[in-house]
Amino acid sequence: MAMDIEAARRTPPKEVVVRVRRYDPETKKTWWQEFKVEARRGMTVLDALLKIKEEQDHTLVLRYSCRQGICGSCGMVINGTPRLACQTQLAEVASEARPVITVEPLYNFPVIRDLVTNFTEFFNKHRSVKPYLIRKDKEEQENPKGQYDMFPDEYYQIYQYSSCVYCGLCYAACPVVAADPQFLGPQALMYALRFVNDVRDEAWGERLIMVDTEHGCHRCHFAASCSAVCPKAVDPAGAIQALRSKVFKYRLHLFKRRVSKVIGPPPEKGERVPLPPEATLLPGVDLKKLEQEPVVIQLPPE
Amino acid sequence: MSEGEVAEKKNSLGFWRSSINPWAVRTKDNPERLAFVFHRISGFLIIAFLLAHILETDSPVWSQLIYHVNGWTFWNHLMAIEAGLAFRVGEFIIAGAVLFHAPNGIRLLLSEFFGVGIGRPGDPKPPYVPGTFTASQRTWLYAVFVVWIALWIFAGIIIFT
Amino acid sequence: MAGRASNIQLWQYITAILLIGLLGFHLLERVPWIWGLSTIDQTLTAAFVYHGYTSYGWALLLLAYVALFHGLNGVRGMLLELRQGRLYTTTINVLFWIVFIVFAAIATLTVAKLPPY
Repeated sequence: MAMDIEAARRTPPKEVVVRVRRYDPETKKTWWQEFKVEARRGMTVLDALLKIKEEQDHTLVLRYSCRQGICGSCGMVINGTPRLACQTQLAEVASEARPVITVEPLYNFPVIRDLVTNFTEFFNKHRSVKPYLIRKDKEEQENPKGQYDMFPDEYYQIYQYSSCVYCGLCYAACPVVAADPQFLGPQALMYALRFVNDVRDEAWGERLIMVDTEHGCHRCHFAASCSAVCPKAVDPAGAIQALRSKVFKYRLHLFKRRVSKVIGPPPEKGERVPLPPEATLLPGVDLKKLEQEPVVIQLPPE
Repeated sequence: MSEGEVAEKKNSLGFWRSSINPWAVRTKDNPERLAFVFHRISGFLIIAFLLAHILETDSPVWSQLIYHVNGWTFWNHLMAIEAGLAFRVGEFIIAGAVLFHAPNGIRLLLSEFFGVGIGRPGDPKPPYVPGTFTASQRTWLYAVFVVWIALWIFAGIIIFT
Repeated sequence: MAGRASNIQLWQYITAILLIGLLGFHLLERVPWIWGLSTIDQTLTAAFVYHGYTSYGWALLLLAYVALFHGLNGVRGMLLELRQGRLYTTTINVLFWIVFIVFAAIATLTVAKLPPY
């Protein structure tokens, strides 16, 4: 989801009511529980939930780790939208007029307890598209003697997709996953494209055939909810359409792509890479003098 | 499920909710989902109509076999029934379904089959707006809604006058 | 069945392209002013419809085949999402072809056995 950058500067209502949909696997009971939390500026939904866990109800279970939108653990449905709790400001989802926030576990994932969901199926689907580089030359791949060449525009063909944090928000928002549990889902299909696009990879044929099933890329109907909720703008919706058009190109024998070559070995450790002739030093910098008398930055006394 | 194993709870929205309600998952800036629901519902209406329509247009043939009457007399009789208001409203709804399904279908054909209008992968930066949402398919989608309403009004004029 | 999905999906897109032209023409048939008429009912008279069948019956027949395939395959896709399983999938695929053949036959009959006006 496009971030509301200004939200952290706004002040949320003084007191926020957090409604959590809880589930207890032992009694198999589901219920809504309300907590009142004193809010301050800059507080996220994750902060509020942790405050509830510390001060009000220790039995509330949730999964989180980095608190800064990198690990992708704290995905949950906040006010009906799948979002990362750590990236959602209270000021974004609660207002003075409506200080109530509903928090639910991610849709389309089996719930283990409270807000913790089971990602096994999700990661199995991710694994099923072979998310690793495959080369025809197995010997070279196992014992590499050089590096693969890659141009910047080729790098940008995969860079966006590699920033996926596996948070599962796309999977929770997808209307097809909601109906068809066998559908590979936006994340796995996007990752298939990431490796189809990668010039260092040679197994595009295998992957394009793998996603070309009744529950593969053709079940996507471009509702684009996956892209709408993605916290990293990985854009799985666009990726699946690109993947599908590549499947058709491959089937019609029109798919062509460069494969990167192995170029010379990387420089030895300690070996200086010579500067290209056009690189010049800043004016007034004497490199030899600097090496003899390194500048020592003096810290002020305590 | 064996004893001691954790009882997990299924948490899917299911086929009907996600196919009929475009706001089953509340997403911002996502008219594609609305288009998906409309496309699905309109497609279903059209195929239901098509099957009836094939039987209807075949009436000059089957009426001869079943009722032993002149086929075209029966056709005129059928058309007289279908000139009623209820049938005209039905035709108007089907016209709306077709006139949405077709332009949106062209958009889907371009982006799904030809892979155009979905932008190019790049270097995402905050506020992280996905490339597909700023690409030309979004413009096409707004055009689809405009064309749909305009053609539907035109169809309404033809059907009801 | 692996690998077949794109074949039928490819036909889904080919029929979509054909439908744009064929259905566009079929809808224009009902726009009265193009034919020098004033209401839609005048485009539905036996004489007008019979004239249509004799002049471009092949196009209407092609439209029926193409629309049936496209529509029924769309429903088939929806039904495959609704439930999964091998027996269910096979049943849906078989039903798809049965309904397609039956209705395509009815459409063929319309053009082939049309009574003279």
